[in-house]
Amino acid sequence: MSLVTLFLGLLVPWLAGMSLLLAMPAQRRLSERGELAWIAGTGYFVGAFLLTLWMRALSRMGIDFGGFAIGVPLLAVAVGGGYLAWRRAANALPGTIRGAGRALLSPPGLSGVARWAWRALLLWVALRFLLLGVEVSWQPLFPWNAWSQWATKARVWFELGRIVPFADSADWFAADGTAYFDAGPHLPPTLPLLQVWASIALGRWDDALMNWPWWQFAVALSLAVYGALRTLDMSALAALVVTFFVSSLPLANVHVALAGYADLPLAACYAGAVLAVLRWTTTRELRDAVLTLVLALAAAQIKAPGIVWAATLVPGFIAALWPRRGVKIAAAIMAAILFGLLVLAQTSLTLLGYPFHLAFEPAWGALAESYFLLGSWNLLWYGALAATLLAWRDLVLPPLAPLTMIVFAGATLLFALVAFPGTRVAIADQTSVNRATLQFAPVAIVFAALAFRAFALRCARAGTGSELASA
Amino acid sequence: MHPHRVGLFLFAVALAVCLLAYLVAVVPGNWFPGASTMTWSAAELSFTRGFGVVENDALVVTALDATGTAVISLDTDFRSNDYRAIAWNAIDVPERANLRLLWRTDYAPGKLNSVPLTVASGRLLPASLARDPNWIGRIRGIALLVQGPLPGPFRIRGVAAKPLGAIEIAGDRVREWFKFEGFTGTSIDSVTGGDDVQDLPMPVLLAAAALLAAAAAFLLAYRSGRIASLPAMLATIFVAAWLLQDVRWVVNLGRQVRATALRYAGHDSRERHLAAEDGQLYAFIEKVRAKLPQGPARVFMVADAPYFRGRGAYHLYPHNVLFDPYLNAMPATSRLRSGDFLVVYQRRGVQYDPGAERLRWDGSAPISAELVVSEPGAALFRIR
Repeated sequence: MSLVTLFLGLLVPWLAGMSLLLAMPAQRRLSERGELAWIAGTGYFVGAFLLTLWMRALSRMGIDFGGFAIGVPLLAVAVGGGYLAWRRAANALPGTIRGAGRALLSPPGLSGVARWAWRALLLWVALRFLLLGVEVSWQPLFPWNAWSQWATKARVWFELGRIVPFADSADWFAADGTAYFDAGPHLPPTLPLLQVWASIALGRWDDALMNWPWWQFAVALSLAVYGALRTLDMSALAALVVTFFVSSLPLANVHVALAGYADLPLAACYAGAVLAVLRWTTTRELRDAVLTLVLALAAAQIKAPGIVWAATLVPGFIAALWPRRGVKIAAAIMAAILFGLLVLAQTSLTLLGYPFHLAFEPAWGALAESYFLLGSWNLLWYGALAATLLAWRDLVLPPLAPLTMIVFAGATLLFALVAFPGTRVAIADQTSVNRATLQFAPVAIVFAALAFRAFALRCARAGTGSELASA
Repeated sequence: MHPHRVGLFLFAVALAVCLLAYLVAVVPGNWFPGASTMTWSAAELSFTRGFGVVENDALVVTALDATGTAVISLDTDFRSNDYRAIAWNAIDVPERANLRLLWRTDYAPGKLNSVPLTVASGRLLPASLARDPNWIGRIRGIALLVQGPLPGPFRIRGVAAKPLGAIEIAGDRVREWFKFEGFTGTSIDSVTGGDDVQDLPMPVLLAAAALLAAAAAFLLAYRSGRIASLPAMLATIFVAAWLLQDVRWVVNLGRQVRATALRYAGHDSRERHLAAEDGQLYAFIEKVRAKLPQGPARVFMVADAPYFRGRGAYHLYPHNVLFDPYLNAMPATSRLRSGDFLVVYQRRGVQYDPGAERLRWDGSAPISAELVVSEPGAALFRIR
């Protein structure tokens, strides 16, 4: 019985998020290609974030956590949003869902070997998520920070039925029992609240089963990537291949299997925000703009570096809003930031008593080993480099320019984290370079895919054959 | 032919070429030697100098002799021509120690030959002796020389003499790639991709093959004037390379799931924790929790190891627990108050006088405390 309530508990925020997105006014119909997958993917991010906001509100209002207090309002959102969506597209909804089901097995436009390749790849992706799901169900909370600074809060809040403050040791003594302590008292409450909700739905504390939201983030990210790429006119098979790349990053899989860290949920929300920007650059829909802001906010509420990642969206927006001069403006901003980093590395400023100096201590050898020799990233960085070189002439031209600016800003951030280890303490919660890379990796894959497509389109224009249509 | 098929074909050929090129570079002599690998277990090894014991099929080197040396030796009798490498299967090998492979031959029985050994990630890399002029005649004995420092014991599971034929080397590489890499404390930061030490990491081989195939595809597309087919070929090459690397990862993931299932499947949450690596600590904390009051109590968790401090605290929540995540520090006695609890787990320097019911640590003034739970190396105290 508890597994059924857990399943329902995990489903409710997902449905609520999807319903909210469907209820928002939009010109794109659900039946348009990629739309359902996009709504399903980003719907989870929105729903999960909404769930935690509601739990924070309940705690503020002094209402204890419980299945009724949390679940019923979310269910109401799901039903209400669903009703609004139904009213707007009553005729289209069943057909769209049926069509999506059919397309899963036989996507339109694919035949013969391509269709079998689609099915095989889909099965391969499903097998991975099955294995990860089994691992999530059985593996007790394992990685270090998960039990020393994240789930600590979940355990206390679940048992007490409300959010209570966590403080560092000095404040803990001063609080005289009203505050709790762990190794990360200032971390945002979003992820622990998701664990609390899973525990409430389950009806007991189980530090394996409470981690299902990590699996949901991974699945939702795959759906969002597929949906967004389809919206951006990528073929079904190509979009599935890119989705497979995103879902098969070994380190991302580890973060599902050994759930409890913030990096994968942050990566998912950040990637969702970037994809929403990309959609917005083509659709100019209010819904995509709102979604960008919500997901950027969610990323910032998952972990402190999310604020910096959210800031990397700004150059993309600038490049999209002013296609002619935007790239130059964005590039100038990033050049100024790089210059600022170099100045801080070369000087020893002191402002308001705080030293402002960054030690330049790059660990290029370790980075190269991690990116190119070890198994964390499959062949991602080889592919990203190759795609960037192949598409170099298209990088700063529409439609790729906004994404290029975002990726350039993200790469600058990673560069800063690698070259100036002090920045890892200042802006990245002491995240290791590999985990910071994970936060960026899905976006890097999408960028490589779209850059490669730009190269393919250039080849198609230059060549005489028409085989490229399938690429 | 369809560009996807061409891409696939080019990648397959390029992969074979790259493998072949690697073997040409590393096979020291005969590609298909008649001899097969000879292995010796830890039980067949003996100490000539230094100290240790055989434990769980491994020879544990625990101490060096008075001159700071240990020698682990083995009598052998094989032709040096047939075997060109010696591989010690050892783990936790000290990185800063001086390690050498020693051997004697029937050609010059009085001469003791040696080559330095390299340590990587706590393992000994195989010593290739094909080009060593002293690797000659019949090998009558081999040994491992260890000269300090030896910060802790290390384990030798055995030693192997390898002919280093092409098939054996290729097999070794495949075994390295597909060696089970179970989840550890560092998995959350990095995935090695097979064995800790690899002579040829799989991503490098696949990337090289993909690059070669891509170059061939470029040539093909330009020479045939079908530039539009190039992206499809390149995409197929890259997807094929990615898929191969992913097969390795999914196989590893499947083995991890099996290992997790064997350990935890069918157990409830409590049983899973008892079966986990910190099961002993969990069992002790269960006893502690039984003695703590119903409502959240102020609890101080101390242990020498940061892992036990943090894990102990984690199992103690929702009690209001304080632990030091970074330093092995005891709480200042002035900050303790009556009714507080102190959980001590494998922490040296904490002394309790049961007669006087006084507790002290690290030279601090004794305080009044009641022993509530006691086990070897672990205790719960209530501060009075």
